[in-house]
Amino acid sequence: MPKIQNLDEAAAAILDAQQAKRRLEVRGLGTKTRLGNQPDYDDCLDVSAMQGIVDYQPEELVLTVRAGTPLAEIEAELAQANQMLAFEPADLSGLLASKSTGTIGGVLATNMSGPRRLTAGAARDFLLGFDAVSGRGERFKSGGRVMKNVTGYDLSKLMCGSYGTLAVVDEVTIKTLPRPETSLSLLFGCNDMGSAVAKIAAIFASPHEPGAAAILPQNVAVTAGLDMAAAFIVVIRLEGIALSVEDRAAHLREMGGVLGTVAQTTSEKLWAAIRDVDLLAKAHGDIWKLSCAQASAPAIVATIEQAFDITFYADWAGGLVWFAGPSGAAFGTALRAALTAHGGGYAHLLCDRGMSKNQLPVFQPLPQAQASLTARVKAAFDPLGVLNFGRMHNGI
Amino acid sequence: MQMPEPDQQIIARRESICAALGKLVPADSVVASEEGRRAYDADGLSAYRQLPLAVVLPETVEQLAAVMKFCHAEGIKVVPRGAGTSLSGGALPLADAVLVGLGKFNRILDIDYANRCVVAQPGVTNLAITHAVQDNGFYYAPDPSSQIACSVGGNVAENSGGVHCLKYGLTTNNLLGIELVTIEGEIMRLGGKHLDSGDYDLMGVMTGSEGLLGIVSEVTLRILQKPATQRALLVGFDDTAAAATAVGDVIGAGIIPAGMEMMDGLAINAAEDFVHAGYPRDAAALIIVELDGPEVEVDALIDRVAGLMKKAGASSIKISKSEEERNLFWAGRKSAFPAVGRISPDYLCMDGTIPRRRLPDMMVLMATLSQKYGLRVANVFHAGDGNLHPLILFDANQPGELQRAEEFGADILRGCVEMGGVLTGEHGVGVEKRDLMPIQFTEDDMKQQQRLKCAFDADHLLNPGKVFPHLHRCAELGRLHVHKGNMPFPDLPRF
Repeated sequence: MPKIQNLDEAAAAILDAQQAKRRLEVRGLGTKTRLGNQPDYDDCLDVSAMQGIVDYQPEELVLTVRAGTPLAEIEAELAQANQMLAFEPADLSGLLASKSTGTIGGVLATNMSGPRRLTAGAARDFLLGFDAVSGRGERFKSGGRVMKNVTGYDLSKLMCGSYGTLAVVDEVTIKTLPRPETSLSLLFGCNDMGSAVAKIAAIFASPHEPGAAAILPQNVAVTAGLDMAAAFIVVIRLEGIALSVEDRAAHLREMGGVLGTVAQTTSEKLWAAIRDVDLLAKAHGDIWKLSCAQASAPAIVATIEQAFDITFYADWAGGLVWFAGPSGAAFGTALRAALTAHGGGYAHLLCDRGMSKNQLPVFQPLPQAQASLTARVKAAFDPLGVLNFGRMHNGI
Repeated sequence: MQMPEPDQQIIARRESICAALGKLVPADSVVASEEGRRAYDADGLSAYRQLPLAVVLPETVEQLAAVMKFCHAEGIKVVPRGAGTSLSGGALPLADAVLVGLGKFNRILDIDYANRCVVAQPGVTNLAITHAVQDNGFYYAPDPSSQIACSVGGNVAENSGGVHCLKYGLTTNNLLGIELVTIEGEIMRLGGKHLDSGDYDLMGVMTGSEGLLGIVSEVTLRILQKPATQRALLVGFDDTAAAATAVGDVIGAGIIPAGMEMMDGLAINAAEDFVHAGYPRDAAALIIVELDGPEVEVDALIDRVAGLMKKAGASSIKISKSEEERNLFWAGRKSAFPAVGRISPDYLCMDGTIPRRRLPDMMVLMATLSQKYGLRVANVFHAGDGNLHPLILFDANQPGELQRAEEFGADILRGCVEMGGVLTGEHGVGVEKRDLMPIQFTEDDMKQQQRLKCAFDADHLLNPGKVFPHLHRCAELGRLHVHKGNMPFPDLPRF
């Protein structure tokens, strides 16, 4: 298994693989190998040695780091300057039974974003530029090391969420943001999912700047340590300077329905559990990640609940629903059908605890025109299918 | 500016092409007369003009798809155009290309407060989105200075920014979904009202692709609740380097202002003469900082920012006490371009970005270049994100001045890249900066970008001659370096 130190070695390994007609699995710390499909590969390309912070300028809000750098190391470095990765990458090590949170390269390759995605953006919104070797074995770079840049195509977007199927990335430049001085959460009680979504919509129609919004059904709320007399709990996170957080909390309490307030330390733990899907750790079956229009979540959940024994909760104001449901093709198929019936979206089999991957696609099947374009984009970077072949779709 | 050699055979077929287009769209949607086409011969970069082969203004996505399908089948080039406000020549016509105008796609289709988004046709203006939702307290955040005229489809094509993108992001960060029509006439929907999909982010690469990958036929935009309060500071400095440091100090202190703008002495005085905003005429640099949010927060942060500015050596600080005063602070900045237009017959507006800490070096470079070329330069910056807008003053009636101004501009952009920055922060490459691309990108970098182009448009029919200085045939780009004459995986399909 070649352990590469830099992109020149990556290029050589890729060209060798082309020559020997072998395929490669691109691997950092291997914490996310359960995400997506098992690629068809002959050798591993270990990129975990490409480590280290290259340049960090907190006043510029810009961090350049090698893709194999552990996420934990980056977060510690940013914390020292009172900054953070605002897209709040999840730690799925519990769910995926892996040893750590992995590398920044893995976070970007899977576009892994947490609760603040709703208001601050996803991982893809924070990648400013990178350099890489394509599946052709050729070095290229895109973007830059500044925040505002429209020079050439925005290939950073394409790299995020491409699961290492297009290129091997070394240096990435990421926009950082100041860490909020303080935070707290408000808990609202609701009788049903519909009124929970409506409550959140009302809160977001106010000028009180909620930063994150989750919906926990009572059974999940209990898992989260919130034992309250309400069928659904809406959790609203407020962040900022203390004066502002307190002021906004006071205004939101006036809207009624508040069951309690969660202070900073507990609030941070609660949101970490929501972010990391810890709340479904003990639930049975497969874990599905559903991205939908926020207002459609209640109807989708209602449809699914009628037919299956599920545990679920929602983040992103309803726009992200985490489901634990029965293994096998029927459940995922029903989720995708419910999405189609309610405004569209995306259902992704995140954690396969049965043999479901063999029965239906992990990633949502693409409409024909988009599938062809996707195949052509793959070929534009990796015409021979050397990198992570089949990780996302058949042949991609 | 060298554009691709026009195809004389296509030009010779002009009349029959117009007739064929007339069968795909309503008769009055084809502009064939020279007089009619004249109205479309340039965009916001008016130094370059070219009559298009024909102008077609489809009214529906089906008509648009039919036009694209026809052009693709006939090998006719297509130049897309929104409102024609591009500052980099993105919508500059070609003599042998059909100009597809999206002006008739002018309806807002859905205002969805439950999902906090607006679905609109691409010809709707940027400001119209905010107008449609402001009575309910919402707005659309990206605010390019041309927002009264520029179209949202054009915003997607150029990934437009504005003075508030430091805090609220560019178009790409506020876009939820698009419908696009490919050069083959295929209609495709990417994204929607949901936040993330799990596939290649094709919407992300469409955004800012300057009309080279497809034509956007519908957009879904995220709208935000208007902040409760907005207040601004007007801060003068005797020293540009101190001003640049102050900007870094604010962000270093964990404050992300809604906007943070800087102007130099020449720009300050031109603006003050024009709108009498009360700018400090003797200052070397002026910073406008705007904070928005809940009132208590804005009040507290205004004090913190004022303290940081004072510590950094500000020579004057004014804090807005009313909306009128805040608007007055902005009036000078917003009219900086026309104000400079009053003190010079012509000017060139540049658009590079640098790491902000290099601003003092950049000021020195510009002063040196100004002497070298014998031309004045006025500066307005989006200081928060390091995006520069140097305005190079010249007189087109003086022989050689335009060329000198262009060389001056190229030298500034070269300096931007050397300092770790980029050629364009928000105006796009278009034709204007096309030939400067090799300063920032290697041949291999650009070839990889063009391979992406080939995935969308294998025949280079969409907006050719823009962005890339050299057009490579897709077959050539797709060729692999073959070791020892052995093609690996010989049975795989190749595009």
